[in-house]
This record gives sequence, C-alpha cells and structure tokens, in this order.
Amino acid sequence: MRFSENGLYIERYIKCGNCGVLIYEKKDQQILTHDGITYCSQWCIDWKIAREKRRGHALLRKVRGRDGER
Amino acid sequence: MDPVTMNILESTLVSICREMGIVLMKTAYSTIFSEALDFTCGLADMSGDLMAVADYCPSQIGGMPLLVKCCLLEIPTSDIDEGDVILHNDPYRGGLHTPEHTLFKPIFVDRELMGFSVAIGHIQEVGGMVPGGFCGEATEVFHEGIRVPPVKIKKRGEDNVEVWKLLLANVRTPRVNYGDLRALIAAVDLGESRTVQVIRKYGKAVFRETIRDLLDYSERRMRAELEAIPDGIYGFKDYIESDGVDAERTYTIEAEVHKFGDSIVIDYAGSSPQAKGPINATLGVATSAAYNAVLHMTDPSIPRNSGCFRPIRVLAPPGTIVNVDYPGPEVGGNTETHPRIVGTIMGAMADAIPNRTMAAEGGTHSNLVFGGADAETGDFFICYDIAGVGWGGRAFADGNDAVDSINGNCRPTPIEVFETRFPWRVEYLAFDTDSAGAGKFRGGVGYTKQMICLNDEIICSQMTDRHVFAPWGLHGGKQGGLGATLILKAATQEWQNMRQAFGKKSTSRYSNVRITKGDRLRLVSPGGGGYGEPKDRQRELIVSDIKQGYVSLAGAERDYGYSEGTA
Amino acid sequence: MNIVGIDIGGTFTDFVVYYRESGEIRFWKELTTPQDPIEAVIAGLKEVDDLNLVEKLRLGTTIATNALLTRRGANVAYVTTAGFRDIPFIQRGDRRSHYDISWIKAKPFVERRNCFEINERLSAKGEVIVPLDEAEVRELARMIKNKSIEAVAVCMLFSYINPQHEVRTRDIIAEEIPGIPISISYDVLPKWKEYERASTTIADAFLKPVITHHFKRLQQRFKEAAIESGIGIIKSNGGEATVAHAAATPVQLALSGPTGAVVATRALARLTGIGNLVTFDMGGTSTDCSTVVNGREHVTTAFEIEWGIPIEIPMIDIHSIGAGGGSIAWIDKGGMLRVGPQSAAADPGPACYGRGGRQATVTDANVVLGRINPDYFLGGRMRLDPDAAFTAIEYLAKAVNLAPDDAALAIVQIANNNMLGALRAVLLQRGFDPRDFTLLASGGAGPVHTCDLMRLASIPRSLVPNSPAQFSAFGFIMTDARVDKHRTVQQTSNSFSGERATRAMTNLVHSAISELKAQGYADNIEIYRSIEARYFGQNHELELSFPANEFNRDSLRDLWHRFHEEHNGRFGFCIPGEIIETVNLKVVAVSVLKKPEVRQLPSQVDKVEPRGKRQVRFEEGWVEVPVYDRDSFGQGCRIIGPAVIEEAASATVLCPDQDLLVDCFGNLLISA
Repeated sequence: MRFSENGLYIERYIKCGNCGVLIYEKKDQQILTHDGITYCSQWCIDWKIAREKRRGHALLRKVRGRDGER
Repeated sequence: MDPVTMNILESTLVSICREMGIVLMKTAYSTIFSEALDFTCGLADMSGDLMAVADYCPSQIGGMPLLVKCCLLEIPTSDIDEGDVILHNDPYRGGLHTPEHTLFKPIFVDRELMGFSVAIGHIQEVGGMVPGGFCGEATEVFHEGIRVPPVKIKKRGEDNVEVWKLLLANVRTPRVNYGDLRALIAAVDLGESRTVQVIRKYGKAVFRETIRDLLDYSERRMRAELEAIPDGIYGFKDYIESDGVDAERTYTIEAEVHKFGDSIVIDYAGSSPQAKGPINATLGVATSAAYNAVLHMTDPSIPRNSGCFRPIRVLAPPGTIVNVDYPGPEVGGNTETHPRIVGTIMGAMADAIPNRTMAAEGGTHSNLVFGGADAETGDFFICYDIAGVGWGGRAFADGNDAVDSINGNCRPTPIEVFETRFPWRVEYLAFDTDSAGAGKFRGGVGYTKQMICLNDEIICSQMTDRHVFAPWGLHGGKQGGLGATLILKAATQEWQNMRQAFGKKSTSRYSNVRITKGDRLRLVSPGGGGYGEPKDRQRELIVSDIKQGYVSLAGAERDYGYSEGTA
Repeated sequence: MNIVGIDIGGTFTDFVVYYRESGEIRFWKELTTPQDPIEAVIAGLKEVDDLNLVEKLRLGTTIATNALLTRRGANVAYVTTAGFRDIPFIQRGDRRSHYDISWIKAKPFVERRNCFEINERLSAKGEVIVPLDEAEVRELARMIKNKSIEAVAVCMLFSYINPQHEVRTRDIIAEEIPGIPISISYDVLPKWKEYERASTTIADAFLKPVITHHFKRLQQRFKEAAIESGIGIIKSNGGEATVAHAAATPVQLALSGPTGAVVATRALARLTGIGNLVTFDMGGTSTDCSTVVNGREHVTTAFEIEWGIPIEIPMIDIHSIGAGGGSIAWIDKGGMLRVGPQSAAADPGPACYGRGGRQATVTDANVVLGRINPDYFLGGRMRLDPDAAFTAIEYLAKAVNLAPDDAALAIVQIANNNMLGALRAVLLQRGFDPRDFTLLASGGAGPVHTCDLMRLASIPRSLVPNSPAQFSAFGFIMTDARVDKHRTVQQTSNSFSGERATRAMTNLVHSAISELKAQGYADNIEIYRSIEARYFGQNHELELSFPANEFNRDSLRDLWHRFHEEHNGRFGFCIPGEIIETVNLKVVAVSVLKKPEVRQLPSQVDKVEPRGKRQVRFEEGWVEVPVYDRDSFGQGCRIIGPAVIEEAASATVLCPDQDLLVDCFGNLLISA
C-alpha cells in the first residue's frame, strides 16, 4: 500500500501476487519479490510455483464444471 | 482453559452482538437494512480479530475481520481515542462493496484499549450514477458512489460535523442516510458500553485470557471438522454472463479446494481477469464467500470468531474477478458474485461431502433499485427491492422454494408495505411452473413479480444474474429455470428485455432506465438446479408436484418421462 | 363464588379450586387423557366438594397448539386476490439458520391446489381498483362444495383498510355452502403485511372444526355429568372468553399454556403493590420468562408455531429457554462444558431419580450442592438418590478437571447463565432497568435458583409465592375477561388527520366493548389504548400508550414528544423534528372479574426455629445453613441468609448476603 507524501490519499494498492492480500509498507509485514511480482510471504511464492507446475498438466486435471452437468 | 467462564463469556458477547442488531433493526431507515436484515454486528479484539458476531447477514461475517484489520493498519491505535467512531466503506481496503458501511468504536477500560465494537450495514443510497447504489453499467468506483476512507465520524463522543456534511451532501436522500448512520452509531455505542461492563466484571487479564482461549477453542473445533472431510484437491468452474458493459464477454469463477489434514486452502487462480462492469468481487467478498462455504460444510455450532477461520486460507489473485483492483467497479460483487463463488466451492466438494452441499441455487437477489419523486409531496424516494430464488436440490431432499440467496438472509418487502410506500401496483407474485431443475430431488421453484408503474417517472437500475447461464444441476440433475427482466411499455403489445427496449448491453445489469406511468415490469427469479437423475425420482413426488402445480403434466412428461397411465 | 381452574397440559391436567367461604385454595393433578381430554377433566372434577356451588370453570387447553403442531386440523381452502395465491408458500423469504443446508422450508396449513384466486383489487388506500367478481366467488363456492374442503380462509390485499370485498366474499360462500366455517382476515388480524395476516387467518380456519367439535363435546359431557357452572376459556392473551367466542376465533387459543404464571403474577402485583415484576417459571425442561410492568402484563403478536409460520395473535410475551431442572450437562467436541437444551425429562429423569438415568442434570447438581434435600423431594413423597447424583457429576467432573462439587457449581452457573439470556431478553432488550424490578420465582425449580439469578441479573429483590410449583394453575383463578383489538391505520405526523385517527380509535374501542358485552361481560370495564409508531423510514414500531379516543392538537403534540423520549430511552438517540409515522392502533378492553380473596397469614409470634441444618455449597464455599419449614412461618417472620426454606414441592435457597421477610399473604420477599 503506497500512501502519498502527505498521507492524504493512496497512490497504489499493493497486493500479494498469490493470495491477493493488501501489503502495507509497515514494520510487521514483509514485501517479498520474485520474478518481478510482489508477495506477502515465502509460502505464497512456493504455492504459486507449485501451482504452475501442477497446472502444467492441465489435461490430466479433473475439474468438474458446468459442461459435464447438463 | 476455564470451560465455565469461556462458555458464559462467549454467550454473553454473542448476546451483546444480538442486542446491537436489535437496535439497528429497529431504528435504521433503509428497508434493506431493517426489513431485510442486511447488516452484521460484532466485537473485535485489539488487533481486529473477531471475538463474537451475531447471525444477521452472512455476507459480512467473513468480511469483518479483514475490514477492521485494514483500518488498524492505517490508523495507529495511538491515534484512536475513547468516544471515537470510525467509518469507512472502501471496497479495496477489506470492504465488500460501496453501499456497505463499516462503523467501529474502540472499547477502552481504564484508558486501555481492549477491543472494538463493530457494525456493518448496507446503506441504500450512496450517491453515484443511479439512485439505490446498484448501477449495472459502472466502469469505475467513482460511478458507484461516495467512497469513504477510514475517517472519524465521531471524535471523542462528539459528531465530527465536517464529515457528516460531506457525506450527506453527496447522496440523494440525506434524511434517510442520516437516520441510518445514527442507527449504526447507536449500535456500536451499545456494543461498547455493554462490553465495558463485562470486562469490568471479569477483569482485563481474565477477559483477555478467556478470549484467547475462546479463539483457540473455535480453531480446535474447526480443525476437527476439517479433519473429517476426505483429503484431496477438488475443483469446479462456473460461468457468469456479461458485466453490463461488454455485450458478449462471459466470465469464469474457478475454485480449487485443497483439503489436507486439518486445514483447507481455497484457491481461485484461473478465475477471469476483472470485468469492466461491476460484477467484480473484492478480496473481502472472496474471503467471505470462502468462509460462508466452509461454515456450511462444518458444524454450525462452532462459535464464530477469527479462531474458527484460522485453518482456512483464501487465495484470490489480484486483478481478477474475485479480487478487483482499484478503481474497478464492484457493487454487484457482494450480492451476485458472492453466491456464485459459494456455489462453485460447493460444486467442488459435492462428492466429498454430499450431505452438506447442494446443486446450484438461483444465486441472485434480483436487486432492482429505483428512485423517483413522490407525486403528492415531491419528496425523493429510493428503494432497493430484492427477491428470493429456488435453491438447489440436495442428496436427501428437494431444494427450498423462494428463499434469499446464500450470501444473504433477507426478507423481501411485503407487497402491502411496498405499495404504501412506492407508486407501483403489483399485479401478481407467483411461482413459475416448471422452473425447478428436474432431478431425483428437484430444485426449488423461482417466482415472478409483475408490477405496473403509477408514477409519472421512476428511474430503474438493476444488478441481477442468471439470464443466460442457468443454475446447474448435480449428478445428472437438470438446470433450474432462468431469470428474466422484461418491460411492457404502456399501450404496446410486446414484452421486451432491456436490450430490446433501451439498447442496454446486458439484460440483467443496467442503469437508469426511465419507466413511466402505465409501463409494466416483470421480474423473474431463477429456479434451483436438480440433484440426481430425474429417472430416479419417486413417482409419488412427481404426482404430488403435478397435483400441487409446481410441475406441469407436459413438463413431467418431458423431464421425467412421466406418463399418467403407468402406476 | 367458587372458582375452579383447569389446565389441560401435555402430560398433566392441573386443577385448582377456590372455596369462597373458607378462603381455601387447593391444587391437584390428573394424568391427561390424550384420546379424549375431557375424560381427565371430568375425573378431576370429582375432587371438588360441591360442583353446584362452582360458579365458574376456567379452562386452559393446549388443544389448539397441539392441532397446529401435529397438523391435525381442517382441510382448508384459501381464497385471495387474483395473482397472489402463492403468498403462503413464498412466506418471508429468509431461512432459519445461516449455515444449515439440511433445513426444509415449513409448509403452510393449506395445500397449494386448494388456493384460489378471485378477481378483485384494492389500492394501498383501500380504493376499489377492480370490483369483486361476485359470479366468480359463487362459482368458486360451488366448486369447493364438491371437494372435501372443511373450512375457508379469506385474505385479500389491503382488506385491513377496506373489508368490503372480504365480507361480501364470506357472505356469498356462506350462502352457497351453509354452515362451512369461514375466517376472513379482517376479523382475525386487520394489520398490514399480507403473509403474516394470511398465515394467521389460515390457522384460524384450520382450527375451527377441531375446536368447535371439542367444545361441543365438552358442553355435552358436562351436561351429562350435571355440571352446570359457567365455562370460561383462557386465551393466549391471558384473558377469559366464553366458549362461543373462543370457538369463533380459535386461533386466539394457539398459545394459552404458559399464560397462567403471568396472570398470577399480575394478580400478585395488585395484591402486594409491587408494580414491576419479572417472572421466571422454571420447570423440568424449560424456563419461561415474562414481565409485568406497572401492574400490567406485556402482550406481543410475534409468535410462530414453527419457524417461518407466524400466528400473530395477541399473546402474553413469554420468552422460553431450554433450561430446566432436567437439563443435561455435557461436554462438546472442543472440551467446553454445556448445559441443555436436551432434558432428561421425567423419564428416565435426573440420575438421582433412580429411574436409570446416568447423565448429570441440573437437579443432580443441586443435590450434590446440598440445595435440594433428597429426603424431602415432593414433600417426602419421592426419595432421591444422592449417590447416583454424585456418581453422575463425578464422571463429568473428571472430564473437565474439576472437583465434583466445583463441577456441580459450574453446571448450575451455566444453567443460570442460560436463564439469564431469557431474562435479558425480556428486560434489557425492552429498555427496562433490572434494578426497578422484583424477580418472581415459580415452578418447582425456580426458588432454588432465584438467589443466584438475583445476583447475576442485578435484580435487587425476589418474591417466592405460595405453592410456587402450582403458580400457573393459581393464575387460572385470577383471570379477567379480555379482548385485544388492533388495526393498521397508517399516517405520518406531517400530514396527520386527527379526524381519521379519532374515528378509527373510537370504532376500535366500541368494537372491543361490544365483543365483551356480547359474551356477557358488562361490568368493571377498563380500556387501554396505545399506538405503535416509528420515525418515518424505520421499519419497527415502538408502543406508546394513548389516553383517549380523540386525537387533537394537544394530545398529538404530547404523543410526538413522548415518542422522541421513548426512542431516546430505548436506543440512546432520537431525531428531533423528524417525521413520525403511526402504524397500528391498539385497544385492550378488560372486564375485571371478581377475584378470590387471598387469605392472610397469622402473625409470627415466637421466633421461628429451623427444623435442621446441613451443608450447602455457595460460590463462596461450603457453609452450614439452617433449614426451615415454610409452613412454620407467620406474617412478619424474618430470616437472615444463608438458609434453606423447604416446602411440599419446592425449596428456596437464601445466599449469605441476602435476607427474607414473609409478607401478610405468605409470600417470601428476598432482598440483597
């Protein structure tokens, strides 16, 4: 979350690239970057990597959706 | 852990939240607030974690912890004084959508901050492009209404008059908004004073300790429930029709549920990039929907607080339809997209826990909003009109007919109250035969409300869904009936949808159409999806449906292969 | 005059008789005979010395409630405005719980295929938009005649403003099908909100044949048994009505069970001069709480026979909670100690009943704590097994890591906290200050817990009446005749027609008085008027009393002023200058009936002596306390706590910092 100099408005909402939480530039919160994307934690970085790997095999993945249900 | 004190404290705090809600219900002006109970009251601890909440509106219960924490990250507690009341509605900072206003008041005991008393309510009119808040064609948050960052509406017990002036100058119904805000403040005042009494009774240390135990207790209970769900990765996709701005584009909600051991991750990656129009959900909504689904799948007697949400992780990639980035519009996300997300999660889990999931429910609240000038007094009126839908068939029973969608628990306004207040006459309000999705257990039916305009002019907008993609069935169950919005202009013969009549991009999401005296509106709400193969439905149930008029003979023949002759 | 009160309950039929000459009041029970409830009544009446001297038999019955709960009533035809036959099925649109996928929507008391529409329509102002199609009504009546319809309910939009169409519909149907019971919504509940009105009217029609039949049999059997006393039927508003009148609108009987305790409380309020009482009637399974304020009971219309099916008849506002002597203590999946709502009931009952019950209940906890004397339960007629109580408690105590008597105390504390919820609901949620009230304890278990509840709820005084276990039945001989009338007459303060309101109020008062007189209640009539109002835009009303029929400038100004005050008192704020909307007018007409004279106790002469002592556990620890026999008390007797006062069917526990005074009627007045 980037506030303006005078603190009166927000310049940019900064979110974690994996889970989407707002990241405030404050003491207790981490801002990690990986491949140019901001993340809130290592957990999210790891998850994203794992997900991309898993979905690489998209054809094998069984996802039920509306198509199968008519 | 002191089991006795914890039990007593938990029920006392929930009782306080209920009393807050009663004050709100009895004093708020917006009917959506008070008749439909679209609000939530809770108590949070000093870090913004939820300690207790009362069961009023499901959509806000999940959003609450996020909302308070976001504010606390911006306003240092050193800047919060006794008697302050903080107001905000920013959708991008934990909010749900522009009409949802959060108020919270710090709870101080002997000058020590012990927590917050919180109330969230849907205020009917927020300025912006259309009266009533739901502008189906908004493309940025600025169209939707006044956006309030966390500000103090009261400072040290006194109204912060400058803030009130700004708020009331930017809405069409300042009198009503004033009443609603006063009601919300009365609720948080009550929450604060009662909690102070309770803390004094137990002492601060015992109170803190017991709350910590209570949250841990809820976490334990939730983990035990989650443990009982079969491990696995479960996925499901659902589709949403246009966003009110792009005529042709459709959108996907994807949910992948990872259930391992005693925790659960709900990953929305794969969902569409955010829409131009206001069907986007905020992170608050995506989180709330995930919690909503999980609460349905687990024991509802677990005390609801941040503890029970700890084992649930929600991943909503930014810039998607489930986590809209500023300044993307989001007013419809809270009412229309939330139930679709819940449905998607339930669809994913349908095989793992068949007794706690169901086929798709209607997934819309109809959300007709209108405004106009009273013919006698000239006063401006605004209304937010909702409708129930058919719910999904389930493993053990038909879906319920005509109930408010899963992210709300609202009551539509009675016709006699509606007509006393607003210049419409309702011509009929009736179930739609054959609107239930066929199945071993059918979905619930939808219904239609047809009304005629009595005023010179009424400006209508709508933010609904299910005109294109019907509620899906499960395990061979068939789709439920579609919803629709039709207009018959005075002295004409043909019913038209909003595209045909006004050139709108979408039939279900539009802003500011001009309805005049003698025009008729027909609002059709969708039926629920069916569960199981129609051929497995018990004959007596089919016979009863025909006898009672829920299913026509032709419909039974077509969907169930029913024939009168055979016994 | 001698009066007999009869309360036909689910398990027991309770009797009470008052003999005027001796001033004696006697209680007894029979087991209810569910197949033919009048059997038990006739049997029980044999106990009365001379039935010929009984002028009035007061009958309270759960027959209407049971018919509704078991869904055994008439096959109803519902007749309504064209386009709206689905109102009873759409219902309110919400669901019972936020997160319970297994919930199945309640069914109305009419089948969809028996719902019929008639071409007619009134506007929101009561103007005729579409005149009633009388031919259609006639045709409908003929069609209904050939089906197996047993009663008709008529509810048309906006009939509460203009009943013409409903009345005419009823008349035509009555012509075509003579004798068929017909209920019209204007008679049953002339208030807006069509679903609630329809639901209540349908319930009325549903009950008509059942109740009429029941009362016919009653009158016949009484005649056969040569019982000639007048009969009064107790309604849900705690008032009495004639048999004919009760049968004409049977939905008024839908909840008459728990009213006895509140009526008795009101009677005590007048006797003792204590105007503000909050009652809790604690039985084996549940506790009922209610208030009497300034000597008057509180009546509400927010009643549902099951979730989602409203029956909005005026009934005494009672808040029930599943906490009683038989409530079971248990440990949930997270290790938290809970009490109730499941109850061990009477069979097998608490562990100490020795009937095979193993689970610890509140009664078992009270035995372990020394509050209940196992040798003197029910006046010695039943012996409790203290070892069984201890075993059951000990088992639970191990699981929560507490010593057995600490566990017993915890169980009582949690049960008390549950009851506190009900007390809060009737007090604080209505803006009352507990410090202005006296807590009245009744039911067998009530006086055992009242000392704790006083502390918990910050109520400084308590009252334990004579025979607390039969306090409800006592209420039956203290009832008045009462008629409640409501009507929606919606107006706003900025365009208020005093004339219209005056006319409506006058008519309402007139009709209430007529209804009383038609039943033969013509004496000592008291009228109470009130108005339900709110800020224009709000959706819930506050009730304010109103002094007369006339709405003039002064009385209106006073009304608005009082509204702002009341709102501020209840919710912590008001909006001066804001428009106020009046919604409902209410009239209560009471014909005050002759009451039994309650005997006075002789004065306490000598110092009263305890008949024993024993150890009792309080929050502070174990204390040795004196045990008294209530029968030994006289007027003016004073006891300092801690103490236990025993009587035939109950016991009163007095905490260390409390004391007790016996008033002239024998009531125990406890103060902190």
